[in-house]
Amino acid sequence: MIKLTGLVKRYPGRAVGANAVDGIDLEVGEGKLTTLLGPSGCGKTTTLRLIAGLERADAGTVEIGGQVVSDPARGIFIGPHRRPIGIVFQSYAIWPHMTVVENVMFPLKVSRPRPRKGEARKRALEALDAVGLADFAERPAPALSGGQQQRVALARALVREPKVLLLDEPLSNLDKGLRGRMRDEIRAVQQRLGITTVFVTHDQDEALAVSDDVVVMNGGHVVERGIPHAIYTYPRDMFTARFLGVSNSLDGVVESVGPEGATVSFGKRSMLCSQCEAIEAGQTVSVFMRPESFKLSRRQHSDEAWPGTIEFSIYHGDCWDYHVRLGDDLLKVRVYREKVGLEHGDLVFLEPDPDSAIVMPAATGMAATPAEVPATT
Amino acid sequence: MALLAQQPTTAPPPGPPAPYRRRWRDRLNPQYITLAIAALAVAYLALVPVGTMLYSSLQSDFLGTTPSTWTLHNYVSTFTAPGIGSLIYNSFVYAAATSIFSTVVGFGLAWLVVRTNTPAKGFARIAALVPLILPGILNTVAWSLLLSPQRGQANLALHALHLPQFNVYSLAGMVFVQSMHVIPVAYLMGTASFTSMDSSLEEAALASGCSPARTFRTITLRIARPAILSAALLMFVQTISTFEVPQLIGVPARHFVFVSRIYSALQQFPADYGTVGVLGIFVLVVACIGLYSSQRLSRGSAVQTITGKGFRARAQDLGAWRWVGFAGFVVFFVVAVALPLLMLLWASFLPTYESPSMDALHHLSLTNYSQVIHRPGIVDAMKNSLITAFSAGLIVTVLSAVVAYLTVKTRIRGRGLLDGLATVPIAVPSVVMGVGILYWYLSAPLPFHLYGTLTILTIAFVTITLPYAMRYLVPGMQQIKDELEEAATASGANWPQAFRRIFIPLLMPSLLSAFVYTMIVAFREISAAIFLYTSDTEVVSVQVYDLYSSGNYPVVAALGVLIVLFLSLLALVVRLISRRFGIKNGS
Repeated sequence: MIKLTGLVKRYPGRAVGANAVDGIDLEVGEGKLTTLLGPSGCGKTTTLRLIAGLERADAGTVEIGGQVVSDPARGIFIGPHRRPIGIVFQSYAIWPHMTVVENVMFPLKVSRPRPRKGEARKRALEALDAVGLADFAERPAPALSGGQQQRVALARALVREPKVLLLDEPLSNLDKGLRGRMRDEIRAVQQRLGITTVFVTHDQDEALAVSDDVVVMNGGHVVERGIPHAIYTYPRDMFTARFLGVSNSLDGVVESVGPEGATVSFGKRSMLCSQCEAIEAGQTVSVFMRPESFKLSRRQHSDEAWPGTIEFSIYHGDCWDYHVRLGDDLLKVRVYREKVGLEHGDLVFLEPDPDSAIVMPAATGMAATPAEVPATT
Repeated sequence: MALLAQQPTTAPPPGPPAPYRRRWRDRLNPQYITLAIAALAVAYLALVPVGTMLYSSLQSDFLGTTPSTWTLHNYVSTFTAPGIGSLIYNSFVYAAATSIFSTVVGFGLAWLVVRTNTPAKGFARIAALVPLILPGILNTVAWSLLLSPQRGQANLALHALHLPQFNVYSLAGMVFVQSMHVIPVAYLMGTASFTSMDSSLEEAALASGCSPARTFRTITLRIARPAILSAALLMFVQTISTFEVPQLIGVPARHFVFVSRIYSALQQFPADYGTVGVLGIFVLVVACIGLYSSQRLSRGSAVQTITGKGFRARAQDLGAWRWVGFAGFVVFFVVAVALPLLMLLWASFLPTYESPSMDALHHLSLTNYSQVIHRPGIVDAMKNSLITAFSAGLIVTVLSAVVAYLTVKTRIRGRGLLDGLATVPIAVPSVVMGVGILYWYLSAPLPFHLYGTLTILTIAFVTITLPYAMRYLVPGMQQIKDELEEAATASGANWPQAFRRIFIPLLMPSLLSAFVYTMIVAFREISAAIFLYTSDTEVVSVQVYDLYSSGNYPVVAALGVLIVLFLSLLALVVRLISRRFGIKNGS
């Protein structure tokens, strides 16, 4: 439905090479909700604005529904007002000089052919009804709360039935509680209408919860793409792994590869990793583990368990976070459903989970550490 | 130093409350005394001129020889006098046309600078500084040299190009010259308004299928409307109450407005004090209504433009049209900055006024400058201007620092009134201020005589600049968190110590800016000074007017160039202070 090919957007006034969007190829499937996920400055919002036509690309093409809407090489640029889109902004962008229903009617009033008298209003009220704001139609727009304004923005974006819905961090201005509700509502509306949607966010929980497809971006590039489950469980890139909260990594050597998986040794310790495609014995690798993937106990239940001491503990209510010292390594471990916490200096045993460990060849993994990613604004 | 002191985080243990209460009272006393003094001073400055003006308009023979009685006769005679209709009509047409023209141009430039990718925005930014360095009187002089019929340089150029000439001595000429002076102010207001408008509002319209032109009309202009109207009202008030253009251009054009009528009524013999009082009150009322509506509108627009995060003022790509905008910048720069300044510069080097030519180049000399330096009248005027501007700057800075402290930082009763009093002078046109002060010191039974001294001019400048200085100091004061003073008090400092050692150092940038800016305003002031000077107390702006009236254009030009250089230096100081300390420009 949306196809981006070799898309480049330079920062105005900056040297070539420091690009906001640096050669993106992306296809967004019909009826799918695709999320652009990444830290601030990764180019996700710029990509969305290029799709909308609010920015002009320096190179590459944008196609919407089979029509090329932007191709600087051929001098094609179709303005945002002639693209079949609806957009919701982070700052709501509700026009303060209009009532709620006037805001929602606006796209219909400026459309051609102009709808029959009363038709625009009827459709606007239907759209407001769909977001649960029918009773607020005649209110002045600034009188609404943030969450309500964002619903009005959604109704306004959908009212002229665009082919593509673009959402630019629509939840980040909302309170925490409201954010979850609004997120689920957006997903429900999107699925009901089956509208192709691009959703920009820096929040991994949002991305995982609403998407059919997650595109992880960094430094103007697409890092990797996949369904939420795959991206979360088996990221294929170190940046993705770090960004999605995999905070432990150990460097080791593959001792052997068998039917159960690969055995990786880290000096005195070793573990079995069941995910080991394209891994060979003798290779240097990095193994990534989520804090919640360990089993932690006071007693040694198996020979596989690693002994260590608690260095630091934080209580979160539903869980405990521990920093566990194993020789030179410090691992972060999260434990749920534990009544009494461990304290500094307690001796513990860590059992790594073979199924959730992620193995990457050391060289490729090192190339994309978040620390080495150039800071962009 | 004192900031290192720990603040008590828990309540002190229950003990005898007496010492605590006594310290509280110790803190309050100097505050109340200061408040009382400040309030008296501000009330005296703000209310006396207006009160005297009102009183004079209600007296049968103000400043006369016969015993005066209360009467409404002045109002009746002024408003039934022949020509009053056309006076009101002329004044309003002049002010309204100037207001519309300057607001359209000023907001147009601001939009191009803030919201588009038009190149070379520096032209507009430099032009915005012009009223700071080119006083209204010099602007008017320069334009009458450029556009006087037959002889003006710009008109000669137009004639050479076979274009129709523009006679500055006309209503259109008045509107044009006054606009050149106030457009930069409108531009600054427009910049503020467009910077605080969220670009997403326009982008949402574009993404809704609305064409760019229609988006500009239905969204951009509509949301900026309160700010535009507010600026237009302000331009109107400023235009209706200043002296230079109505006197220097309006009078030769036989186009009288309130200000020139007031001036001529005071110049004639016997002076018509009653009519002046009535006209002054009328202008005051118009100004008050205008400013009140302006503030209401701008408050409304502030509410409208506040949005949450993710807010941006993005530059819009104009495509090829940006070169049209660029041309607009260049034309504006040439007309508002280059032409008047070059005109003054050229005329200042010629002993007798002649058009630029190869021949004239041979006559260039510094004669005019040596005249400026050697003529006793001019030197005295410069001295007087420096003395009055410097003292006014000093007094206003101290006074407004105290007033700002009391209104922002204390919960003391009566601070709202004080704040209100300090803003009163904004609404009083300088002409009314000048006449009001003149009337008061002529008529009040005071034990000392201030008429004909520099003190009376200083009083006028202090009153006029007080609100400007407050605009620097109130935000400056608000930036200093209460905790800093509390920490000083908790470290054992009493209130005067805390004020002197915590507030003053932190406030220094704001204080310096307010001081220099006040000096600039006082130095270029003429609308009030023209009523208050005597032959011994002429200031530079009045001297320019006198020299110009007696036809001594070359010396006027040389004096003008020196004034521009001096004011540029001061303006540079303000900018450096602002940039160094990151204070927002209050002008």
